[in-house]
Amino acid sequence: MRQAALLALLLGLGAALSLTTGPRALGLSDFHTALTAYDPHDPAHVTLMAIRLPRLVAGLIAGAALGVAGTVMQTLTRNPLADPGILGINAGAAFALLLGAAVFGRADQAAIALFAFPGAALASVAVFALGGGLRGDAGPVRLTLAGAALNALLLSMVTAMVLVRQESLDILRFWVAGSLTEAVYRPVAQMALLACTGAALALLIAPLIEALSMGADMARGLGTRPARVQAGGLLAVTLTTGAAVAIAGPIAFLGLMAPHLARPLAGASLRAQLGTSAALGALILTLADVAGRIILAPGEVRAGIMVALLGGPVFVWIARRLRPGAMA
Amino acid sequence: MRGAASLALLLVLASVAALLHGQIDAAPSVLWQGLVTGEGPGALILDTIRGPRVATALGAGAVLGLSGTIFQTLFRNPLAAPDLLGFNAGAGLAIIAGIAFGIALPAPVLAAIGGLAVAGVVGALAWRRGSGTPALTIILVGLGTGFTATALATFLMTLLPGTAAAEAQRWLTGSLAARNWAHAAQVWGFGMALTLLAFSQARPLMVMELGGELATGLGVRAEPARWRISGIAVLLAAAGVAVAGPVPFVALMAGPFGARMTGARSPAARMAAGAAAGALIVVLADLLARASVPGLQLPVGVATGLLGAPYLLWRLSREMDKGDL
Amino acid sequence: MLEASRLTLAYDGGPVIEALDLSLPGDRVTAIIGPNGCGKSTLLKALARILPVRSGRVTLDGEDMAHLPPRALARRLAILPQAPRAPEGIRVADLVRRGRLPWRGLLSPWREEDRAACAEALAAVGMTELADRDLAELSGGQRQRAWLALVLAQRTPWLLLDEPTTYLDLTHQMEVLGLLRRLNRQSGTAVVSVLHDLNLAARYSDHLVLLGENGVIAAGRPEHVLTPEHLGAAFGLRAQVMPDPVTGTPMVVPLDTPETEVPA
Repeated sequence: MRQAALLALLLGLGAALSLTTGPRALGLSDFHTALTAYDPHDPAHVTLMAIRLPRLVAGLIAGAALGVAGTVMQTLTRNPLADPGILGINAGAAFALLLGAAVFGRADQAAIALFAFPGAALASVAVFALGGGLRGDAGPVRLTLAGAALNALLLSMVTAMVLVRQESLDILRFWVAGSLTEAVYRPVAQMALLACTGAALALLIAPLIEALSMGADMARGLGTRPARVQAGGLLAVTLTTGAAVAIAGPIAFLGLMAPHLARPLAGASLRAQLGTSAALGALILTLADVAGRIILAPGEVRAGIMVALLGGPVFVWIARRLRPGAMA
Repeated sequence: MRGAASLALLLVLASVAALLHGQIDAAPSVLWQGLVTGEGPGALILDTIRGPRVATALGAGAVLGLSGTIFQTLFRNPLAAPDLLGFNAGAGLAIIAGIAFGIALPAPVLAAIGGLAVAGVVGALAWRRGSGTPALTIILVGLGTGFTATALATFLMTLLPGTAAAEAQRWLTGSLAARNWAHAAQVWGFGMALTLLAFSQARPLMVMELGGELATGLGVRAEPARWRISGIAVLLAAAGVAVAGPVPFVALMAGPFGARMTGARSPAARMAAGAAAGALIVVLADLLARASVPGLQLPVGVATGLLGAPYLLWRLSREMDKGDL
Repeated sequence: MLEASRLTLAYDGGPVIEALDLSLPGDRVTAIIGPNGCGKSTLLKALARILPVRSGRVTLDGEDMAHLPPRALARRLAILPQAPRAPEGIRVADLVRRGRLPWRGLLSPWREEDRAACAEALAAVGMTELADRDLAELSGGQRQRAWLALVLAQRTPWLLLDEPTTYLDLTHQMEVLGLLRRLNRQSGTAVVSVLHDLNLAARYSDHLVLLGENGVIAAGRPEHVLTPEHLGAAFGLRAQVMPDPVTGTPMVVPLDTPETEVPA
């Protein structure tokens, strides 16, 4: 309970920072008046309600969704390095949105988000399948390398497409560079709904995933159907990851970090871990977004880069702690 | 022996093909004329357009292939290649940092510094007292360090103005566009010196291949030997990265491919085969990248990425079935 | 009664067990023994329905197991696989709670009977004091008892165990086997384990099933199963069987093994 209160407090602080940080210095009092007496001619109000609030909300949703996705994937694979966002998905989203833009001839933010969703979702499943996850014996090395391989493959195709179709580069820039800043133009509500569906599914079947994490035989002995549980878990990962990437742009390593920080706080229950990891994911992404606004002010570094700068060392830290036996 | 001869023949054929084909195909006779007389379009192709490019490709491929073979032998794992271990990413980061901060050091020096720095970090982080570090730990720590280096490079690129960033991005993909004889001379010069050093280590490498404990039993001081050999291999990779960018998967594929083609067994023979295979891969990949889309030159890294990723996935599933992974 | 009739089991390759008939008594302690590779564990997995049956059928108290829904089966029969994977950093109590899964809906709250079942299971294996300890900190024997508590919390009339004594030293092997027999005597739980050690199997079981390459060689009371003829047929081993000086149960004493030639 104390931890939940602490997390809520931190999230509140992060939200306040996110609302007040930026090229235009604003206070929480501005936010209060913007909420209670909105004045469309006051630039401060417009900045808060049309730029910073949507950006904050998008970051919270995307961060929480990736926290859930990472927890499900790590538990399902019993692989502490599993992360739907490790490589793979961002390249998958980029490839899909370029393909979508080429085929359907649309490149506005809403369309881009719609194209990115299936790309990210499919890539997360592909990394999982190629890494041996479907056989229930995905080792960290294999899963990570499969992600690296898929990433390289997709990135090569993205590079080729960018060089072949010049306008692709602009579309890609639009999506990558926009990141959370463009959130307001993206179908955040729809994606939030998808993410919530995925998260609700994960919470519902959490006890079954717990059983599966003890091995398929044990899970069957406890009366579950491993294939269905796995499919359900993958669906949850797909929905949350796809939605997160679609609204927040390329973000890797968040799904890796959040569960690791959540586990010691939440204890053994997967449901508690899911909740804690979602809160931490939202917190980390929000803080990364704030840091990205400060570090090169008045310029900006997108949140995904800030998260990756943090996530790479965390990956190494986890890899070092793995016992040799747990590697394969 | 037959395998070695056919690998050499393939290398020659690929080089000639790479000289003949491109945006504008040249007839062999034109090339021949250019070679003999030193005049005409053939001479232009040989001297400035494709000659230096192919020479650079051969050199870069050879050093990358040699580097990969050494690492794979040293760690006794086909997945231990400098690109997967993060050294290429480190070399790339150093060069981007050079551009971003205006550090006036030549590219190979920067690349070497970056590669060695990452190698040092990986070695220090993965090292475990006593038991000897398992290869898989090194690979994972290397991957993570590589991720970090790539993230830093991406971060630095946001500092660059638009055109410089695009150029840096192209460079990070691995490209052989607009290479001149200075590039070729550079990679061949450094490469030759390092190759001599590498082959001087063939004997300790042969013993190290049996595992650190056995090597100690046979009178090779395992730890210093490992650091020494790793250092040479990192420098080899850096020499390649300096002229061609961090071309992915060449170092990973070259060793097994060369050994398979030639049937080489001893470390020295495998090293030679790996270098030749690396050169072949890069020349062919560059040819493929140049010739596949009319009117457009794709960077060589795109082609090796498209070739290498399926190879890595196949390798993974094989290691998986063998139960090693 | 747990019965198999005309049971054929196979992995990807050829059949491991063909047309096997078997009947295991309820409320007894049964051990399945036999040489390596004869399909002991395969048979146990099929009896627990965690391995699909190629042909033939398994019946639990007269009901065809193929028609039981997974949860209904998990309430009647529990299985402890050979190498269950321990979630990292889990406490003993949290591990045991997972045994209640078949009895709880996905949204049902933790009830008094769940708590009681876990407490009872922990007490039965003597782990009540260690309930709050991290599983990874415990000794091999303690860990195996924690896993046992998990399947006990399932509160099933049948309990199947795949080599529950592997990786344990002799003291812990006897501790686990004694615990299983006590469980059977106290609560009437039918226990079926795959075991390696013939003498321990004979000492702690009421019923033995001896498997050979071609199916069941003998089944019944230990003294009827462990005979020199049966051992010869199953293991190709010449042995003498004498009463265990401590318990009087049959004890296998191997005679000479056939000379194996060492290549020069």
